[in-house]
Amino acid sequence: MGLRQLASWLAATAPSQLLQDHQWIVPTSQSLHIIGISLVFASATAVNLRLVGMAFRRRGLLQVIDALVPWMWRGLALLLVTGVLQTLTEPVRELVTPVYWAKMGMIAAVALLTRAYVGTVRRRAGTSGADAARPAAALPFAVASTLLWLAVIACGRFIAYTSMYFT
Amino acid sequence: MDLPAFWHQLHEWPLAAAMRGDTPGTEWLFPIVETLHVTALTLFFGSIALVDLRLLGLAQREAGVSDVARDTLPLTWAAWCVAALMGALMFVSKADSYAANTPFRLKFLCMVFAALNMLVFQFGAYRQVGRWEHGEPPAAARWAGALSLALWTAVVCFGRWTGFTT
Repeated sequence: MGLRQLASWLAATAPSQLLQDHQWIVPTSQSLHIIGISLVFASATAVNLRLVGMAFRRRGLLQVIDALVPWMWRGLALLLVTGVLQTLTEPVRELVTPVYWAKMGMIAAVALLTRAYVGTVRRRAGTSGADAARPAAALPFAVASTLLWLAVIACGRFIAYTSMYFT
Repeated sequence: MDLPAFWHQLHEWPLAAAMRGDTPGTEWLFPIVETLHVTALTLFFGSIALVDLRLLGLAQREAGVSDVARDTLPLTWAAWCVAALMGALMFVSKADSYAANTPFRLKFLCMVFAALNMLVFQFGAYRQVGRWEHGEPPAAARWAGALSLALWTAVVCFGRWTGFTT
């Protein structure tokens, strides 16, 4: 079954039809989606800046991580719920463009990378007991994380601009 | 000031034509500027939300309010400036349309109220922040945080709505 067929099938299901009937759902979900990415990107950026020692230096690295990483995961949960809702309401528009799939891949990548790296930082701090910050070592992760989130945001916008070429 | 004449003048700018994609080769300029606007605004809104949540006592409670504010706000304002600059570029593409657009106008009205809210807090309860920043936030701080969150959320929603109606 091709992607276009899957998307059309999804669009014909009862839940999708129900969502499609209410014009206010997509704009509302998109606004909540923006709030979600705001929490994620701001938290991730703050942690990244602290990792490389460029900002948020009034607190130790672990304190910044403990304060902000939970908000990143909460934002991601909101993004997942609203994202599924938006995809279910407009399956063809979302699923036919490769930009959508590139975005999903990058989200999975940055989420796994973040989980792994934060875990490493916490473990390292636990055994040594010293301040966990090691700016030079953290730079590759901070740069990768930032670029991935920027790419995810750009892809999000460009789904709308590119789906017309694939429908 | 004759606004319609001013919008017409803006409309004739080469920059405006480029933003509209009228000039050959500029079709992707608006989408790129818009994406930068969205990126900057997410950084702005996320960071101010984290400060507001601190004022409400809902996030980063182990840190003092002034530490959170001083750490976060430079990032917040830098992001706002980029968002505003990108917004200005989008505005000139169809100045008369945007100026007449209701959600767009409401967006700016909310920003004015958000600014007033910030000034009231800054010169009010925040001046004594050293006295209350580690304990339960006073009512003034909680109101400032709640209003800020509500107003900037409205700005985000009106902004999205503008995109649907222009």
